[in-house]
Amino acid sequence: MAALPLVAGRELSSPPSDGISNLRFSNHSDHLLVSSWDKSVRLYDASANVLRGEFMHGGPVLDCCFHDDSSGFSAGADNTVRRLVFNLGKEDILGRHDAPVRCIEYSYATGQVITGSWDKTLKCWDPRGASGQERTLVGTYAQPERVYSLSLYGNRLVVATAGRNVNVYDLRNMSQPEQRRESSLKYQTRCVRCYPNGTGYALSSVEGRVAMEFFDLSDSGQSKKYAFKCHRKSEAGRDIVYPVNAIAFHPIYGTFATGGCDGYVNVWDGNNKKRLYQYSKYPTSIAALSFSRDGRLLAVASSYTFEEGDKPHEPDAIFVRSVNEVEVKPKPKAYPTPAS
Amino acid sequence: MPTLSTWQIFESCVTTVTGGGSIIFSITNRIVSFPFEIQIPHRSLDLFSSTDSVNMSKVQNDPLLQVETTCGSLLYELQIIWDEVGESETERDKMLLELERECLEVYRRKVDQANRCRAQLRQAIADAEADLAAICSAMGERPVHIRQSDQSLGSLKEELRAILPQLEEMQKRKCDRRNQFVEVLEQIQKISNEIHMCSEYTLSRTIVDETDLSLRKLDELHRELQALQKEKSDRLKHVLDLLNTLNSLCLVLGNDFKETVIEVHPSLGNDYEGTKNMSNETIEQLTTAIQRLREIKIKRMQRLQDLATSMLELWNLMDTPIEEQQMFQNVTCNIAASEHEIMEANMLSVDFINQVEAEVSRLDELKASKMKELVLKKRTELEEICRKTHLIPESDSVVEVAIEAIESGAVDPACVLEQIELQIAKVKEEAFSRKEILEKVEKWLAACDEECWLEEYNRDENRYNAGRGAHLTLKRAEKARALVGKLPGMVEALASKTTAWENERGIEFSYDGIRLLSMLEEYTILRLEKEEERKRQRDQKKLQGQLMAEQEARFGSKPSPMKLQNGKKGPRLSTGGASTRRLSVGGTMLQTPKADPHSIKSTPNTRQAKKSDRLHSIEQLKHPRDDACPALSAGGRDSDIAGLPLRNHSLNAVNAREVESPMKRKPFLPISSTESSKSHTITNVMDDLNRKQNEILQKTLKSNNSQFSTPSKILSAGEEENWTPKAMPIHMPPTPLTVSVPMQTVMTPAHPPIPYNRVEETPEEIEYSFEEKRAGFVLPRTTHLKTLIQV
Repeated sequence: MAALPLVAGRELSSPPSDGISNLRFSNHSDHLLVSSWDKSVRLYDASANVLRGEFMHGGPVLDCCFHDDSSGFSAGADNTVRRLVFNLGKEDILGRHDAPVRCIEYSYATGQVITGSWDKTLKCWDPRGASGQERTLVGTYAQPERVYSLSLYGNRLVVATAGRNVNVYDLRNMSQPEQRRESSLKYQTRCVRCYPNGTGYALSSVEGRVAMEFFDLSDSGQSKKYAFKCHRKSEAGRDIVYPVNAIAFHPIYGTFATGGCDGYVNVWDGNNKKRLYQYSKYPTSIAALSFSRDGRLLAVASSYTFEEGDKPHEPDAIFVRSVNEVEVKPKPKAYPTPAS
Repeated sequence: MPTLSTWQIFESCVTTVTGGGSIIFSITNRIVSFPFEIQIPHRSLDLFSSTDSVNMSKVQNDPLLQVETTCGSLLYELQIIWDEVGESETERDKMLLELERECLEVYRRKVDQANRCRAQLRQAIADAEADLAAICSAMGERPVHIRQSDQSLGSLKEELRAILPQLEEMQKRKCDRRNQFVEVLEQIQKISNEIHMCSEYTLSRTIVDETDLSLRKLDELHRELQALQKEKSDRLKHVLDLLNTLNSLCLVLGNDFKETVIEVHPSLGNDYEGTKNMSNETIEQLTTAIQRLREIKIKRMQRLQDLATSMLELWNLMDTPIEEQQMFQNVTCNIAASEHEIMEANMLSVDFINQVEAEVSRLDELKASKMKELVLKKRTELEEICRKTHLIPESDSVVEVAIEAIESGAVDPACVLEQIELQIAKVKEEAFSRKEILEKVEKWLAACDEECWLEEYNRDENRYNAGRGAHLTLKRAEKARALVGKLPGMVEALASKTTAWENERGIEFSYDGIRLLSMLEEYTILRLEKEEERKRQRDQKKLQGQLMAEQEARFGSKPSPMKLQNGKKGPRLSTGGASTRRLSVGGTMLQTPKADPHSIKSTPNTRQAKKSDRLHSIEQLKHPRDDACPALSAGGRDSDIAGLPLRNHSLNAVNAREVESPMKRKPFLPISSTESSKSHTITNVMDDLNRKQNEILQKTLKSNNSQFSTPSKILSAGEEENWTPKAMPIHMPPTPLTVSVPMQTVMTPAHPPIPYNRVEETPEEIEYSFEEKRAGFVLPRTTHLKTLIQV
């Protein structure tokens, strides 16, 4: 344990006191926004290892995201969507769901906040509107099940819900999903993330597997999709399978990191179907992952995700590791196909 | 009577004197001053009283009277003396006459003297008056004192006394005025000295013209002074202007301004302190200096602009990076500037121009080298085209010579480039005309290759032995035979086409320097020879067969030669592959990398191909299970070898696998025995593995087909088979972290072996995520039902 921080990356001081629900790097700086079950949203300067600000909410915070470098949003288990202004320490309520809000995204394309909740709806908010639900709420869109994960690319929104549903929306026309899909994986979806090139998304399940999907519905498009196993352990002839909690795409190379309840972070090259790197084991489950805007830093939330219920566990910690190019750069094929 | 006569004389004398009036008085006065002892006897008184008794009584105290008295008494005394001496009368008369004459003399002298004195006085007055008048006229004033001759002011002396102070006053004023004049004149002189710089010219002017000291003149002089002052300031301004111009010129040209200026006049060097020389000569010199510098500037500017033009051309030509251009941006931006627009310091200094020149020559050199490079590149291009079209580059040596010439600088590379380009165009044109025939030639050569292969294949006695890939070879042989059958026709057509071409162009069609027609001829001859040979062989074989049959009949059968040839089989197959001009990826050719044990999978085998076949069918079932999409380990290459038109299901898995096999043996290279044996064993293992997997697959398939609607049962069905990965090298050891590992995209039935969260298996149970469980979130029953109903 003593040597761990050296390998695992720098551990941020003053971490949340309870489970970390999500963390995200800013698009403009190395600031890191962290939401937690301890009802707080914290803003760190990851490169300086300084806690810049803290917001306390009425309930556990299940997700958070940046608006710009000076403000952000949070999704709370108290059904509330909040807007946070960091330098003023000010927060106001954008609106409410009927059930805890599981995930939140800010769309730079439309300037809207999109939230997914366990009340089986998706809501879009205009954060510029004055406080008050009737003025900020843009629309409510019913989902087949409780929303578990959201991901955005440009105008495309991928919504993963319970019951292995996946809906793909075009933000410009939210009246109905562009595509209604079922997860290719057999088990509950944990996380969905769009590829940085916007051609598809990766989806992870509780059963140590990640599916690589493509939006293109043509045969040739769909023939590219595949799934692979990961975050498993062979023990005495039996495979122990761990949930894959987090996926984070490298903003430059398009490779991605997955984090599982086995405490490992793996880096994959989806195009060449290779695992590029495995970081040494973290103390407990990986709850969330985020690459910084230039892909030089990877924030790892090592935090028990309650997969085995309430039990004693390692303290929650955030590690910020500087990413070596070797770990994330796709390995070019050593022997290209000989030209016929 | 002598006495009487004396008296008479005396009296006449007195009478005369009396007639003189005032003069008598003065004489008597003088006489009074004589130290006479006056002893007047009564007698003489008597004597005189008779003649002038009234006078005597009237002026008792008059000195004249006293003198007369004294004279009378002296005369009396003389009479007495004479009487005593007894002087004769004549003597006495003589004495008395003398006395009378001497008296007259004295009178006359005195009168003359007085007269002279009066004249002097008059002269003095006149002089003073003249002086006064002169001064007044010089000062341009009305004379203060105008004497009126009739209105005389008393005596002459008074007059003089009145005029003298006036004169003195005027003289003082004149002196003042003169000083003023001197002052102005001095200033004028000074300024004109400054302006003209010649001392003798103004020397004369320092002497004040005494005759004209009038105010008018003074004014005139003042005006002159002012004019001069103005001229001076004008000139100063002009000089400063010139100096400024000169300064800016010096700045631009990078000359030392001070030095240049001091050369013209030393006084110009000191900046703004002290006076500057501003004579015509200096101004002229300055102007010429400016003119000279301007000429230099124009000359240098033209030079610089020439340089800039060539620099721009070179930049354009060579796509010089902006950063490199930036350094000389100030040069090129002045390319069209006129003379007065170039103001930047040192813009036209010798150093700067040299620097620019150096840059241009550097660029020139660069251009030359690039040109050479281009020429070489073009040459290789030419060679390449020639090679492709099987032409022999005709004038190789010419290009060689040209390059040498460029290096020595004798020939312009552009010229050579043009020449080469011309040549390329020519060759391309020719290549185009040859294309059709060349294609045919290629086909023919390929057919020849195939023919050769077929020949060899025909010689192989074991060719019909069933083995891996045998059906492929068979197919090939079949094709080859058909091709060989077409060969004579092909050759004929080619020959006729070539002859037509040659006739049309009047040149020989050469292929790699050999005339194609002769090649074709040679081939035909060879073919005929071969055919003959074959016939002979066939005959011989027949004979041999008969012989063998005879021998067998006699001695029993012998081991078949076929068995002896078994060992050759492997390599021959690969040769066969190689002859197709493709890299053979036969199983034996793959070397298993020692470093990476995971690549064993890459060893292909036909079974996998079969498996992929089957998978294909699964895919067609469009089964929603995720097992369907994982990549198949069966590579596209295998199917390629098999010649099956199988769709590539393996996505990129093939590529992934290829990366993992770092070395491929080239055909005809010997395989090291250890390596090959190793790979063989591994291949065997793999075979086993695959077989096993295959079985699993089949099983799953079965269960799938029958009961895929209830996923829980698959769970149990696949339970035991799920451990297959144990034998498979899919789980990467955590130690070699940097080695990239293929993903486990291999299809395995997805059963949750021991999920941490035991997913509730009763379908009525609602699944919850960890977060929901932790938050204690329970889906309200009613809403759930409602949604169910809605759905």
